[in-house]
Amino acid sequence: MSAVQQRGSLTQVELAGVTGLSPATVSNIVKELTVLGVLHTAPTSRSGRRAQQVTLARNLGLVAGVHFGTRSMRVALSDVAHRVIAEQRMPLPPDHRADAGLDRAALLLTEMVESLDASMGEVLAVGVGVPAPVDVRTGRIATVGMLRGWDGVSVSEVLERRIGIPVHVDNDANLGALAEVRLGAARGARHVLYLKVSHGVGGGLVLNGEVFHGRSGTAGEIGHVTLDDNGPICRCGNRGCLETFVGAPVLLAMLAASHGHLTLRDVITRAQDGDPGCRRVISDAGLHLGAAAANVCNVFDPELVVVGGQLAEAGAILLDPLRTVLAQRTVPSTAGPVDVVASELGASAEVRGALAVALDRAAIAGSVAVVG
Amino acid sequence: MNGSVLSLRGISKSYGAVRALVDVDLEIRPHEVVAVIGDNGAGKSTLAGVISGALVPDAGQVLLDGQPVSLSTPAAARSHGIAAVFQDGALCANLDVVENIFLGQEVTRAVLLDEVAMEKQAWTLLGQLAARVPSVRIPVGALSGGQRQAVAIARSLLGEPRVLVLDEPTSALGITQTAEVLSLIERLRERGHGVVLISHSMADVQAVADRIVVLRLGRVNGEFDAASTSYEDLIAAVTGATSGAPRRGAPDVARGDGPRPAARPGPARAEVPGRADGPRRPDAHEVIP
Repeated sequence: MSAVQQRGSLTQVELAGVTGLSPATVSNIVKELTVLGVLHTAPTSRSGRRAQQVTLARNLGLVAGVHFGTRSMRVALSDVAHRVIAEQRMPLPPDHRADAGLDRAALLLTEMVESLDASMGEVLAVGVGVPAPVDVRTGRIATVGMLRGWDGVSVSEVLERRIGIPVHVDNDANLGALAEVRLGAARGARHVLYLKVSHGVGGGLVLNGEVFHGRSGTAGEIGHVTLDDNGPICRCGNRGCLETFVGAPVLLAMLAASHGHLTLRDVITRAQDGDPGCRRVISDAGLHLGAAAANVCNVFDPELVVVGGQLAEAGAILLDPLRTVLAQRTVPSTAGPVDVVASELGASAEVRGALAVALDRAAIAGSVAVVG
Repeated sequence: MNGSVLSLRGISKSYGAVRALVDVDLEIRPHEVVAVIGDNGAGKSTLAGVISGALVPDAGQVLLDGQPVSLSTPAAARSHGIAAVFQDGALCANLDVVENIFLGQEVTRAVLLDEVAMEKQAWTLLGQLAARVPSVRIPVGALSGGQRQAVAIARSLLGEPRVLVLDEPTSALGITQTAEVLSLIERLRERGHGVVLISHSMADVQAVADRIVVLRLGRVNGEFDAASTSYEDLIAAVTGATSGAPRRGAPDVARGDGPRPAARPGPARAEVPGRADGPRRPDAHEVIP
């Protein structure tokens, strides 16, 4: 049951592989649950053989995911089978405030649910990702000054009061990591390092298939690994953090004198069109990221490094230098250097992770009754 | 980065005794969203009218690529590559999407309308804007506000204008539609258009603009870099709590290709004593609902 819930849809044979149960047992369980209306099966084919595709029945409800970025917000709705039904992006002002942001998210969510002819009562849970460390137990932003206008805000409390649905909050890079492991580039991997390189730099650690949060939610904050003791002061208050070398404002400032006013997307587009200045800025960012990621890899030796966020759209321009430095600086292993891949879910990774968290925490009435 | 497509120099416009615009300068560059904000009656719509050729200024110069031009009619403006979308979108509710987009500029083959070519081009335009329109053959009246706005913008994109003026594109829209229109403006910018966004929604303007020009009582009351300007500074300029934020000097000398000074409003703040202190800000918030 939870296996189907985590992966959205899979065949009975795969289900047997994942759960470790015998195919006959799986078949019996699936039949039983189908009769009860919890699962839905459809004939399909897998490597040329007939198979049964198993998904959760749709009438079980909806879950919602919200991702606040530095300059935009994304809201998605999915059914309990991980199928995204509606998704909407909205640009946000710089330094947006928690009250206005959460208000817009709540309004947008309500309108999207209504446009599906559903009611808010059908939404079982909401997952929210914010670009700052979050104490997942309290839903409170765990640091001060990282996300101006959001300091000390209990996101889950504010939003729950607004929409009356259970809200689960996490750091956006953690959610991106979760989404890549469940649905994206890192499917099947157990230990994964996810880097989110957009306006800021975030990181998510996945250990044994679970997101690692640490003591108070600041685990994986790779953007604040020190690269230069005497470097510039970072928004976190330390000096020479990775983010002061590869954060979008820094990259854009480097190009301001020669290229004028650009956005991060302009830089990526121009780099892909061969602009040498923009290529250089992105490949240097790759070098810095590689150096920081190498430290993390030396500590926990992941199977895979997934690079997401907007800058990852630059592809090889960013990833090649990153791979080179990472291979240089990690302990040589007989297994060879760690693989570095680009995110598969792209800009949607974080919101898909938010959906996954909402789904995990959703009290699906059927599942509780049947499994119990 | 690039030079201006369109420059307004010392534009003034009066309606009888009402001075709607007084000595207004505005630079519009390609690949950039410049927002014009201001209170009711600050002259925003008059400015849109002047740029789009609907209004003829009493004084001042309009330069296109550095050459003086006369934008005496909307058609003249269009022929110079300036298109405008006004608040109501000026669409015919009973006509379908294709008919609306091509109204008055139909594609013909011999003497007949080339419906196939028009429909294809309509889909291309809407596709580039990533607009979600269910069908191009349904009456515009059946579309949502955001979709109608997308059709109105697609219509203005015919003939590849270099400058696009959007007058209050998000007023009277719900939040989903606002989100769509804002994303649309970002894509217009990516396509390389110079976009003039006229709005009084501070949140919408800050979300997509590169540069924000504040109009107050017909005068330019400051020009700000959108990324580094706070909501409070904008409100202060709109309400007049700060006045005379630095006017740009002779544009060609002062700006060039150099980096834009991030803290342009800085000096003004220092000149007006007490402006940055607490008590004024709450007032400013109350003035603007």
